[in-house]
Amino acid sequence: MNKTQKQRVKMLQNMIGFFRASLNPWVIRVKFKENPERVAFILHRVSGAIIAFYLLAHIIVTSYTDDPLAWERILNTLSSPWNKVGEWILATAIIYHGLNGIRLLLVEFFGVGIGRPELPKPPYIPPSFKGGQRKALYAVFILSIIGSILSAVLIFTGKLPI
Amino acid sequence: MVKESTWSIIQYITAILLILFLGFHLIERIPGLSPLQAATYEESLEYEKVSRAYDSYGWVLATLLVIGLFHGLNGLRGMLLEWKPEARTVINIVILVVFIVFAFVGFTTIYNHLAG
Amino acid sequence: MLEAEELEAAKRTPPKEVILKVKRYNPETGKQYIKEYKILTYRGMTILDALNYIKENIDPTLTTRYSCRMGVCGSCGMIINGKPRLACQTQVAAVATEENPVITVEPLYNIPVIRDLVTDFTPFFEKHKMIMPYIMRKNPKEVDEAEYEFLMSPEEHLEIYEYSLCIMCGLCYSACPVTASDPEYLGPQALAQAYRYIADVRDEEPEKRIVVVDTEHGCHRCHFAGTCSAVCPKMVDPAAAIQRLRKITLFYRLGLWRKKKTSRVAGPLEKPLRKIEAQYPTHNLVEGADPEKQAKEPVSIDFTDEMLSE
Repeated sequence: MNKTQKQRVKMLQNMIGFFRASLNPWVIRVKFKENPERVAFILHRVSGAIIAFYLLAHIIVTSYTDDPLAWERILNTLSSPWNKVGEWILATAIIYHGLNGIRLLLVEFFGVGIGRPELPKPPYIPPSFKGGQRKALYAVFILSIIGSILSAVLIFTGKLPI
Repeated sequence: MVKESTWSIIQYITAILLILFLGFHLIERIPGLSPLQAATYEESLEYEKVSRAYDSYGWVLATLLVIGLFHGLNGLRGMLLEWKPEARTVINIVILVVFIVFAFVGFTTIYNHLAG
Repeated sequence: MLEAEELEAAKRTPPKEVILKVKRYNPETGKQYIKEYKILTYRGMTILDALNYIKENIDPTLTTRYSCRMGVCGSCGMIINGKPRLACQTQVAAVATEENPVITVEPLYNIPVIRDLVTDFTPFFEKHKMIMPYIMRKNPKEVDEAEYEFLMSPEEHLEIYEYSLCIMCGLCYSACPVTASDPEYLGPQALAQAYRYIADVRDEEPEKRIVVVDTEHGCHRCHFAGTCSAVCPKMVDPAAAIQRLRKITLFYRLGLWRKKKTSRVAGPLEKPLRKIEAQYPTHNLVEGADPEKQAKEPVSIDFTDEMLSE
């Protein structure tokens, strides 16, 4: 396309945009059981961002704690129920990010769990969805829920019922 | 110019290390498994227990600081590169500066605890 | 991917009347708006048929692009009910029901829109060009002045066959969450094709392609969201190809990967081919028939008036 044509035709960019694409798993309306990887990707991204920002805050907060009095003061300000909820969300995020991270490490670094290339046959399910990573993904979801419940018990009651 | 795959390789290596080191850091909070002998979750956050953690496991915290910062900031960098792909150089410089500043702050904290 | 449910739905009769909500764009005014069309359906009607019906009978200004009408050319990709699909492969019955006879049709996301449903594929094809989608040999004469073919076993062919089915319809590109905000990202199609040529035993220059994909906007921006494979109409599975490509790139950077095998040129045949003389059939003939004589006679069939009237 030459320059004069470009000036006459005003094209619409039609981009979904960063925030819609990385926060809404159904911006492309595929069913959950058809493509749970997209939900996993968005949860991985959101949990990663939560952990990264917490890490930066954690480094700053702990830098003010070189004597016991300051430490007590910070602990008192951070012991409100809302902070407990925040801690629980953080624990859930870390558990999910870690478990899904193991799955992604296997898939992306070692290339396992995505099946072998094959001849397309009905019902036309891509090999990467029939491979082990899909089962691993469901395991990640279930284990994350269990871990989240356990961490809630630990944070809100102070003890694990073992 | 560092290739993107080099950052990716470090990202995956730090991911493996974080599973071990961050796992240890979180197990300190769990009563029964905690190496700090804390009876409850709150007790594991007391000053005496935490400073014991600094004394015994200072090297764990130092490693955790570096690999955690790298993994987290490289992840953020990836997101920012997608958000504003035209500001590639600015993003890389900002992330590098944040990494250096926070690593310095963290190391100062660990050093102060160890020094007394 | 055509889901089993959708295949079932395609066998049903569509609702008698459907409402098509088409997202239109006028480049002169620069405005995007939704226009509704009510049309009568018939069994086996596709979305492309519906759009053509609108263009012919209701609104001639509606602009679409299509060519083959049978899912081969990949020009009629559009977002139908929120999912990127080929209009010619999507039955009205599969996306509309009696309770909800509304179908939304939008131009593909992440690709510039020229008018209505017509998108500009120039950046998409530029990226495909960037990964050098052709066989490269150390000795370019083997391709340019090829006398003989390259050897390739059926197993080696199966390795890349799936990825070579790509029709460049842009559905994966439109579904990808990374192309949604990064216009420089190579996209699932180009990366899958890069893997297809790196894995091809006939190709001798995988390093050149690794350099192209190993950038800030290359294969490491992929996060394995997998929507590309979920929407692909040809089961190309770009998600798996990109993961394998990334593995190759990382291991290559660590010095642990190099191309295991490249095939050689077939060369002239060792023995000349056997020549077989054509013969007239000699066995199982109708009694009294002479094939040699019959071959020379002109064929004549006598039609009765009854046969012709049918």
